[in-house]
Amino acid sequence: MSKHQTYRHENDYKTEENGNKDLSRWSHGRKRGADGSLRRSHRVEESGKDQRSQSSRRPDIFTTPESEGPVSRIKNWGDEVEAEEMRTNVHCDMHRYRRRILAADIPPRDRKTSSGSSDSRESWDSKDSPAKGEMETDEAILMRRQKQINYGKNTLAYDRYIKEVPKHLREPGIHPKTPNKFKKYSRRSWDQQIKLWRVGLHKWDPPAEEGLELQQIEEIDLGEIMDFELDVEGSANTETESQNPASSGVSLSLPEDSFTGTPKKMMKIEDAEML
Amino acid sequence: MSVTIHNCQMECGGVFLGACALTLSGNDPSHPTSARKSVCAVQPAPITLKYLIPRSMDSVSEYKFQALDMETQNMLKEALNDPKTVDLEKLSNTIVNQSLKDITFCKDAGRICYALVQAETQKAATSVFRRNLLTRLQQEFTAREETRNRSLQEWVCLVTFICNMFDYIKVNSAPIVALVDPVYDCLFRLAEPDSLMNEEEVDCLVLQLHRVGEQLEQKNSRRMDQLFYLVRDGFLLQEGISSMTRLLLLEILEFRASGWTLTDTAQQYYYSEVAD
Repeated sequence: MSKHQTYRHENDYKTEENGNKDLSRWSHGRKRGADGSLRRSHRVEESGKDQRSQSSRRPDIFTTPESEGPVSRIKNWGDEVEAEEMRTNVHCDMHRYRRRILAADIPPRDRKTSSGSSDSRESWDSKDSPAKGEMETDEAILMRRQKQINYGKNTLAYDRYIKEVPKHLREPGIHPKTPNKFKKYSRRSWDQQIKLWRVGLHKWDPPAEEGLELQQIEEIDLGEIMDFELDVEGSANTETESQNPASSGVSLSLPEDSFTGTPKKMMKIEDAEML
Repeated sequence: MSVTIHNCQMECGGVFLGACALTLSGNDPSHPTSARKSVCAVQPAPITLKYLIPRSMDSVSEYKFQALDMETQNMLKEALNDPKTVDLEKLSNTIVNQSLKDITFCKDAGRICYALVQAETQKAATSVFRRNLLTRLQQEFTAREETRNRSLQEWVCLVTFICNMFDYIKVNSAPIVALVDPVYDCLFRLAEPDSLMNEEEVDCLVLQLHRVGEQLEQKNSRRMDQLFYLVRDGFLLQEGISSMTRLLLLEILEFRASGWTLTDTAQQYYYSEVAD
C-alpha cells in the first residue's frame, strides 16, 4: 500500500517537474496549470523555480526514481556547477583512459619481464581488460566513485604523499595507489578498496602536535569505524599492516580487547578486488 | 530562420505607414533592404545604433580598477597571485556590490571574475570564489522583481552582470548550464510590455542578446523561439513604444534571423550615419 503511494507520489512530482519545463509544448492550450490553478496568461509563465515553489504549496523536496535520495527542488547554483564540472571531468578521464587502453593494446606484451615493474602500462595487463565492453561506463557509478576519490585526494595526507613520492618511485606494497574507477568491480569490492587506500594514506598525515598519545587514539578510532579486519602479521603484500600495528578493525559490536591480538580474518588487497 | 510579418499597419515615429508585407529572411539578403525601404520610404532610419550598441563586443578596455576602492584593488591583485591569502567571499561580495551600482564596471567584472576563477583553479585547486559568486548571484536573482521595483538601474545592472558571468565563466570550456534558465528568465522579463516602455530595459535586452544570444540558443532553442515571439509581438503590436525602441527590436530580430551575425546591409542600415 505504502509502496504504491510512494510510487504515485514520485510520479506526480516527476510529471510536474517535466511539465514545468515543457510548458508550451504540452500545455499550450490548457486553461489550468499542472497544479490546478488558472493560467494567468497564454504566454509563457515565469519559470523561476523559487517563485513557483513559493506560490504553490508543493513541498520543497521530493524523490524521483533517478535520484539517489531526497532532492531539493530549489537547486543551489554553486552545487550544480560543481556537479557539472565533475561530470565533464569524468568524461574527459574516460576518453583519455580509452585512448590509453587502445594504445597499450597494439604492441604485444611480454608479461614475464614486466612482473614487479612499476610501469603503469605494463602492470595493467594482468587485471585490465582492453575490451571496451569491460570498462565501467555508467555515469552514476563513475560519479559516485569519483566523489569518493575526491574525498581522499582532498586530504593533507594525500598532498604530502604525492609531494614525497613521485609516481615512478612507487612500490606496490608500500605506496597506496588510487583505485581505478574504470575497472569493473562490485560495489562492496570498490568500497573496500577505497577504505584500504584511505587508510594507507594516513601514513602521510601531518604530524600531530600532542605527540604519540593522539596517534594512538586516532588509530583506535580508525579501528572502530572500519568494519573489516586487517592482517597484522605475516604476508608482505598488504600495505596496511605497517601503518596499523595496534588496531585491527572490528565492527562496533565486538569487545574492546579485539584491538590487540590476532585478528579473526586476514584480507589482502587482491582479495578485496575479488569481492 | 525567418521572421515574416504580413499586412501590418504600423505607426512609426508619427508617420503612418501603409500596410505592406515585410519579410525578413535570413536566406535572402536582398529582401530586407527592399522591404525596409518600402516601409520606411517616407522616413528613413531616424537614428543610428552606432553609438548605442558597441559593435565590437571584445573591445579591449582597461579594467575599471578605479571603480574599486584601494583596499579591494589590492585584494584583487593579491588574489590573482595567491588565492589562498585572500578572503574570497568578501572579494566576491564586493565585486557583485560594485557591479550592481555601476553599469560600466559590470562589463569588466566579467573579465575580472574569469581571471579570479582561473587563478584559483590553477593555483589552489579550489573553487571558493566561484561558489560564493554564484550563491550571491542566486540570491540577487531570486529577489530580482523587488530589485526592479526599487531601481530600474540596479535591475539592469543585475541582468548585465548575470549575462556577463554566463559569457565569461565556463566549466571545462562549456557554458554554465545552471545559468541558462535564469538568464532566459531575466530576458523574458525584459521583453514584457511594461519593460518595453523603458528604453533602458530594451537597451539591456538587445545588448545581452547580441552578446550571449547564440550560446543561449544552442542550449535551449525553444525558449529562444518563445522569447523572440515576445520581441516580435512587442515590435508589431505594442502601442506607445518609442521609435528608437522599435529600431532596436527590429535590429535584434534581423540579427537573429541572419544567424546571430550582422549582414552588410543591416550594418549599413542600422549603424551607418548616412541617411537614406
